[in-house]
Amino acid sequence: MLNQALIIARKELTDALRDSRSIISTLLYCLMGPGIVFMVSTTMNGKDGADSVLVGMMSVFVLVSAFSGGMNVAMDILAGERERQSLLPLLLTAGARRHVILGKWAAICCFSTASLVLNVVAFWLALRAHFPAPANAANSVLLWAAGLIPLALLAAAVELAISTVCRTLKEAHTYLSMLVFVPTTLGMFTVFFPKLAAGWGRIAPLIAQQWQVEHWWRGTGISILPTIASGVVTALLAALSLCVAARLLERDDVVYGG
Amino acid sequence: MIEVEHLRKEFRGVAAVRDLSFRAPDGAITGLLGSNGAGKTTTLRMISGALQPHGGQIRIDGLSLSQNPLQAQQRLGALLDHMGLYPRLTTRENLAYFGRMRGIPDTRLRHRIDEVLDILGLGALADRRTTGFSQGERMKVALGRAIIHSPRNLLLDEPTNGLDVPTVRGLRGLLQRMRDEGICVIFSSHVLEEVRALCDNVVVIAQGTVAAQGTADELCLRTRSSNLEEAFVQLTVPKEAIAC
Repeated sequence: MLNQALIIARKELTDALRDSRSIISTLLYCLMGPGIVFMVSTTMNGKDGADSVLVGMMSVFVLVSAFSGGMNVAMDILAGERERQSLLPLLLTAGARRHVILGKWAAICCFSTASLVLNVVAFWLALRAHFPAPANAANSVLLWAAGLIPLALLAAAVELAISTVCRTLKEAHTYLSMLVFVPTTLGMFTVFFPKLAAGWGRIAPLIAQQWQVEHWWRGTGISILPTIASGVVTALLAALSLCVAARLLERDDVVYGG
Repeated sequence: MIEVEHLRKEFRGVAAVRDLSFRAPDGAITGLLGSNGAGKTTTLRMISGALQPHGGQIRIDGLSLSQNPLQAQQRLGALLDHMGLYPRLTTRENLAYFGRMRGIPDTRLRHRIDEVLDILGLGALADRRTTGFSQGERMKVALGRAIIHSPRNLLLDEPTNGLDVPTVRGLRGLLQRMRDEGICVIFSSHVLEEVRALCDNVVVIAQGTVAAQGTADELCLRTRSSNLEEAFVQLTVPKEAIAC
């Protein structure tokens, strides 16, 4: 039956890749951060504290890109499906609703992960004059495997859960746009109050990933255990969000919008 | 064959379907006839497995829907009130998606899609994206996806709503051919002429329960009415309301 999740994921990817408006919007969101930080870097060139400002800004944009990457797909994939009345026929063919959720989540994950990769690569291209590429391969693997990829999985799962309860694309757009404020606000707060990233902050989703990105970029190394712990906590939260979405999809009022 | 026994469903304490029983045999078109809000759509949604009943039994070809949901649903095709398509996919891709979800292997699926496109006269639209399709074209693609896995039982919820006369005639012809092939068809409508023209058996539903069932002629005879409309009113509208 996992096969059904794969069929759904494949179809959703094909469908989403044909939506050129959504792809362009996602790309612009993804490259906006590197563009802004590049402009700031040219104006602050040589000034004291420029590196801290640039790394702080960049880390916030990296968090945001995990959420903005899958946003358009997430709103179309369930709220859009309900709005165009294609959800019920799909549910009649699927063995279990958790397979529908799993397939759709996999498709959103592809976009949120791709957005993160593109965002970090664009930052590297934009800021390589200020920060030589982080050379430590072990740190890089750790950052992606236990830090950023779990973050992309969490962003996709939360977006899908929100899209599940929205009856229209417009409603989903409103809530998912508000969701992007969570990494933005939390990220900015952590930039101004870095002590938040100490202690429990090392394993808290978003705060931990921001800390990891900043240290990786500076080449100061990332501690293995807190990074793995943050990855596990983030992945567990993603799994919880998926369970919530699957439970919601069992409810008549959610399926029929009544 | 579809058997429904003592079916019950409530929404927030309000009974939508109560103690509803009927049997739809193979090789026949069974019409569910009722006014708006009578419980036709809720009944069809429960038979399709999309809604969980609060009580009663549904059997599809002898398989209990509650005990063997996957096997029972595999024998069923449904064209309910939700007819949405994927506008960025072509007709062929829409059908292929549902065929794969129904577990048809790719080698057989290609042949089956061609067959369905041919049955529904959708050949010219096969490789066009479904965005901008007319109501009739959309209905045909939705019907195609409901029959892609060659089900032995078919549910249709007011499928002719909003369709033009040639499309309605085409659909009637198709349903009659399916009946002749031995398929069990349940067809809900509130258009009396349509039910009379198409259905072998009629189940009249009023206020969530079966008010009467039989052929159109039997219903007329029972109510001593000269036509189905009069019989329907006698069976579903309270006497004091008729007097008004």
